[in-house]
Amino acid sequence: MNDSYVYIIIALLPLSALMLMVQVNPYHALVIRGILGAVAALVYAVLGAADVALTEALVGTMLAITLSAVAVRSSLVMRLGILEDGLPNVEDESKTEREQDCPFAHLIADLRASANKHHLRLELVPYADPQSLQRALIEKEVHVTCVQRSPHQESESEDVQPYQTTTRVRRLYEILQTELSSPTTRLTYMTAPSGEKH
Amino acid sequence: MNWILIAMVLALLIPIYEVWKDENIWQKMLAFASIASKTSVMILVVSVLRDDWMIGVVGVIILSVGNAGLMLLAHVIKRMNTL
Repeated sequence: MNDSYVYIIIALLPLSALMLMVQVNPYHALVIRGILGAVAALVYAVLGAADVALTEALVGTMLAITLSAVAVRSSLVMRLGILEDGLPNVEDESKTEREQDCPFAHLIADLRASANKHHLRLELVPYADPQSLQRALIEKEVHVTCVQRSPHQESESEDVQPYQTTTRVRRLYEILQTELSSPTTRLTYMTAPSGEKH
Repeated sequence: MNWILIAMVLALLIPIYEVWKDENIWQKMLAFASIASKTSVMILVVSVLRDDWMIGVVGVIILSVGNAGLMLLAHVIKRMNTL
């Protein structure tokens, strides 16, 4: 039991735990959590606790990673409500060419880039008409809505911001206000009635 | 026979360095698969050195079942990239 390699193997455990602690991306942290589980199973087996090693490998690595991967994937999402007729055809073959001339696709790409900076995933939710879109924002089905503003709201000469982006989450408003560089949208914050769902 | 295990620990440090430095998620998954296999083979080597069959059975089970979690995680990450 007093072999010299035991100390070297045990030193791997705080090394991988430190790597897990300094990781900021949740998906990368999941992978490193798997590595920590593998190293921990090795350490337990070397120290003679075979049952603990088996439990760590099966429950600690497999089940914990799977459950937390599902949790991270379903919670780190920004739901963006849009109108169906303004939706650019994503399944189109010439998608890259359409992205260059369509300002709405540019705006979506900008929103996706600023969401990805905070490890959020952007999910587009299409709605049939503006009324149901507004209701979805109030009833907390989506976090952000993005619609084209009607041209009679202000004079045509000043129409440099053809899109209206509304959010009901205070933190998302702060993030988008500092990071969204697109000049084609106007950002507003709307207080939704308080409730359980976020 | 200790030098075999010390050499295996040094080989284990290579994918650990890789998972620390590389930012690509698939490179991290590859390093995770490498570390999972290497640690279970190390458990098998320790069991042979000590002539301990209990540790040997645990090493075989970890080597054969432990990579199922890797496959599930890879499916979740693949679906995240396609959406």
